[in-house]
Amino acid sequence: MIRIEYQTQRLSLRFFMLMLVLFLFQTAFGLLLTGQHIDPTLLAGTLNFNVVRAEHTNLGILWVLSGFIGAILFVGPLLSKRELAAPGLIRFLFYALLAVVLWNVATQVLAEQGIAGWWLGQPLLQEGLEYLEAGRIVDVVILVGFAILCHVVWRSFPPISQWNEIHWGLGIGVLALTLVWIFGMFFVERIDLQEYFRWYVVHYWVEGVWEVIHISLVGFLLVLMFRADVKSVGFAVFWGISLVWLSGLLGNAHHYFWVGTPEFWQFWGSLFSALEPLPLIFCFWHLYLDAHQDGEPLANMPAFAFLLGSVVLEQVGAGILGFTMTFALTNVWSHGTWVTLSHAHLALFGTFGMLGIATAYYAIPLMRGVGQFDQRPGRLAFWLVFTGMLGLCFAFAIGGTVQVYVYRTLGLDWFGGEVAPAMLFAKLLVPVFGLVFTIGAGLLVYDLLTLGLRVPVPAAARPVAATGWGRRLSGWETGLWLLAMWVFGAVITLGLLSFNLRTVQDGSMLFPYLMAGIGYPGLLLTTLLFVARFLRSLAARGPAAVSDQAVGVAASLAR
Amino acid sequence: MSCAAGEPCEEGGRRRRALVVLGLMGAIFIVLSVASFLDSRGQVTPVSVSYAGFDAVQGKRVFQAYNCMGCHTIVGNGAYFAPDLTKLYGRVGPAWLEAFLPSAGSWPTSTAVALQLRDAATAGEAGAASIDAYLKKYPAAAERVERRGGHMTLMPNLPLSRNEVRELIAFLKYSSAMNTEGWPPTPRVAGLAVAKAALPAAQAATVPAATATAPPSATQRGADLAQSTGCMACHSTSGERLVGPGWGELYGSDVTFTDGSSARADDAYLTQSIVDPDARVVKDYVPHVMPAYAGVLDAGQVADIVAYIRSLQGGQP
Repeated sequence: MIRIEYQTQRLSLRFFMLMLVLFLFQTAFGLLLTGQHIDPTLLAGTLNFNVVRAEHTNLGILWVLSGFIGAILFVGPLLSKRELAAPGLIRFLFYALLAVVLWNVATQVLAEQGIAGWWLGQPLLQEGLEYLEAGRIVDVVILVGFAILCHVVWRSFPPISQWNEIHWGLGIGVLALTLVWIFGMFFVERIDLQEYFRWYVVHYWVEGVWEVIHISLVGFLLVLMFRADVKSVGFAVFWGISLVWLSGLLGNAHHYFWVGTPEFWQFWGSLFSALEPLPLIFCFWHLYLDAHQDGEPLANMPAFAFLLGSVVLEQVGAGILGFTMTFALTNVWSHGTWVTLSHAHLALFGTFGMLGIATAYYAIPLMRGVGQFDQRPGRLAFWLVFTGMLGLCFAFAIGGTVQVYVYRTLGLDWFGGEVAPAMLFAKLLVPVFGLVFTIGAGLLVYDLLTLGLRVPVPAAARPVAATGWGRRLSGWETGLWLLAMWVFGAVITLGLLSFNLRTVQDGSMLFPYLMAGIGYPGLLLTTLLFVARFLRSLAARGPAAVSDQAVGVAASLAR
Repeated sequence: MSCAAGEPCEEGGRRRRALVVLGLMGAIFIVLSVASFLDSRGQVTPVSVSYAGFDAVQGKRVFQAYNCMGCHTIVGNGAYFAPDLTKLYGRVGPAWLEAFLPSAGSWPTSTAVALQLRDAATAGEAGAASIDAYLKKYPAAAERVERRGGHMTLMPNLPLSRNEVRELIAFLKYSSAMNTEGWPPTPRVAGLAVAKAALPAAQAATVPAATATAPPSATQRGADLAQSTGCMACHSTSGERLVGPGWGELYGSDVTFTDGSSARADDAYLTQSIVDPDARVVKDYVPHVMPAYAGVLDAGQVADIVAYIRSLQGGQP
């Protein structure tokens, strides 16, 4: 076990704790939304759907950011080999974040009265734009917070001449995080121009900046967990980030198909955002390689499970599901429906949420000085959260396919009582899986909040046979699993494409329903089984001897 | 860099080439972006759109202030909970929106839409003077009136002022005029045709039952009128305030006006409130939200509605 060498690493603990609490609240708001979907009069007039949804999306962004900050503060001193600069500012950053959260939760309710707090043409209190609902006051405080984070990271890191790729990734990541945010800080009169800049923040954050931070952090966690070689991880980090930007920079065009911007974006968006899965496949493959470079047992199973979940769901949610709806000919149908929800939930929670949780599972035991901890709640929580999210994604995708058919083929695009009953099955499925997810979320939050504070229960690790489902996972087999996922992804793509067929447009639902019925369950089940297989093969390596990790880490950190 | 010592290293060159390509992509993106917002593109801008003298830019502020995107979608982006609003104005027309928005909790009846057409500005914007011409010109409005008129919607009532309503309509007029490159796709089948064909039969079945009974009392006529005119969109039969005051505890109560004076809610007061609601506005209520029914309802009909309100005294219908 690594000892905490740098005291400023401990500053990350409070951000992880805040992340967990916000995660729980976000989940609760999500559950309330499912209720309002089934009964739209639920709390109508008291806590309207749009307010609950704004809380849900904003808390989602804020807890992911809180997790990022925690992760960056935790790895910062390890990367810098010295204490973080300006610990006072970091403490201030925490209280600023806390204030932002409380203020923003409170001001979103003003939308029910139509109060935006206009001053000098800017909405000070709340803005009413999807994902950017926060008002200008909060925007400014967040900008200051990002600037503090930049300052801390850049001042803590060694001189630029000594940077490796992970330094570059995180350094550029936090800087870009700050700069991109500025594009969301203006009231724009035109819808097309406003959407153009809104996606600067949303797309370039997620697919430009967060992805870069994600790649860097995954890379460094692999270094810490598997004593992977910093140089080979650095290679992966450089090319991962380059591919992200090579595909994602023009890939943003897929948001400019139908918002009033010209038709030529359909060409560029379809072409380049189809390349966006490449860096994700690259990242996926490197995770496999680094996890298998030696056959050593794994010390911290929950941390790795969430890291694996992050990379796999990035592949499936962002990569494959993103791919299915990235072409103008499929996006014209999926746009503005639940189909996009399945992609968004799997990609955002999967990629970034799970990374935050993985880092917390890695860092919290170290900071609390717990060598052996009961890993069973963590593992169980992973499976609940993972299956819950896959199930949610299935429900959204099926509901979305029905919605596309009812909206776009039958033309019943107003809620004249036809759409809701048609989607009812999916709408009922959402809270079922939502409940599974919530139980998992509650369990992991409890586990992490109290880890090391409870009386440890000695866990008798059940030996897992290294045969059958537990045998070593070969590269070939991993490739086949990945191929299977992409085959189902292709089926989903063809299903969306089939809405263009004359027979479907004449009212036959056969093709799209059949393809969605095969594609989505196929993809999600393959994902579930692959992760089960991967984790089983790692568990078969046996229980880890706790102390032998420290040596390797120290060695790998020495450049 | 992952080059072993002594080997020829190509990694550095590869990385430089990748960065050059990235720069090229950035340049392409900037060129495309500039081209997207040139005037020659001919895209409509909100500054050039107004509705009955109200500004579309101001409408966008209202749209954001109420976080409409938190339930609806606009150009396909938003919350997928409620219908897309991009092309709504072009489909249902301004009079339907004028009737709907102040009391969004209820679907407008054809009387409620007709009432809005009495405003010259609205009729002018709609390009239809009579309700028949209007419903013919905006089939989507006709569809909503026929199938849902007078029923509850799933949208909560919002405290929109008269001006905000018109600004919002200006904004929707703007979004409706936008070129969105063919989105949303036009359906080839009329999905409603089936449901519509089934509907008149169901209505016809209820008619004979109604005619079989004795001629309706004034109270009964008032109740029917209140329903068909669309009063119930804003007024509940209990004491509960929806948009306007609930009728259950209204008759005989004391009301205070914005100018500080007060009166007893008797026949004369209620009649005036229906015929000319802006003559005296009750404290905490906004003027110009309730339309004037002078010329829409004759004296007998107003008396019937007042009788109905009187019968609701104490909250019992």
